[in-house]
Amino acid sequence: MDWDLLSVSFVAVFLSELGDKSQIAAIALGGSSKSPQAVFFGTAGALLLASLVGVLLGQGVAQVLPTQLLKGIAAIGFATIGLRLLWPKEA
Amino acid sequence: MIAALVDFKLTLFRSPSMSAPEPSIVPSETPNTTAKTPGKSTFVSVFTSTFFTILFAEMGDKTQLTTLLMTAESQKPLMVFLGAGSALVTTSLLGVLLGRWLASRVSEAAIETAAGIALMVIAVLLIGDMLDMT
Repeated sequence: MDWDLLSVSFVAVFLSELGDKSQIAAIALGGSSKSPQAVFFGTAGALLLASLVGVLLGQGVAQVLPTQLLKGIAAIGFATIGLRLLWPKEA
Repeated sequence: MIAALVDFKLTLFRSPSMSAPEPSIVPSETPNTTAKTPGKSTFVSVFTSTFFTILFAEMGDKTQLTTLLMTAESQKPLMVFLGAGSALVTTSLLGVLLGRWLASRVSEAAIETAAGIALMVIAVLLIGDMLDMT
């Protein structure tokens, strides 16, 4: 067990994620959703998979995956959820 | 954590038709239970939309690049993944708990407006990331 490397990667990732897009999204979705547990599992699962992909694919991520397209889809997804929350509800 | 994920997988693969006959057996109880707790379908749809939007947003992002560089440098992918993974679970948990705490302090309408604006800002930031990549 390489405790130095483990703690360095924990601290580095923790600090870089604090207040980042995904955490803001987790706050927004967790606060407004009917199922905060689902938001937690969805967020944590997605972040774990993203970092696993980063670890496994190494420097090839950008070449292997259409990251630009995926970010575009994510932008549409967040905008859709955001608009649905801002849209006035019918009584 | 793992047990919870396995449990979730089981609920994912349970088809709606399997649980459909149940309400007809106890018809008087169903409206109460659906009103009290959000149904399985709410959980699955919230999980799925959250999972894919966050996953796609994080692809090629700085955390992924950090783990990638640390792996390349140390050649110890497991240690980097364990460190990064536990940090990401912690930040997600803190985020959701902070969201719940905020939601308990202000009105539902206010939190929905704030959340809607925050998500629109994130969408704009992501488009900015996309343009940076070109």
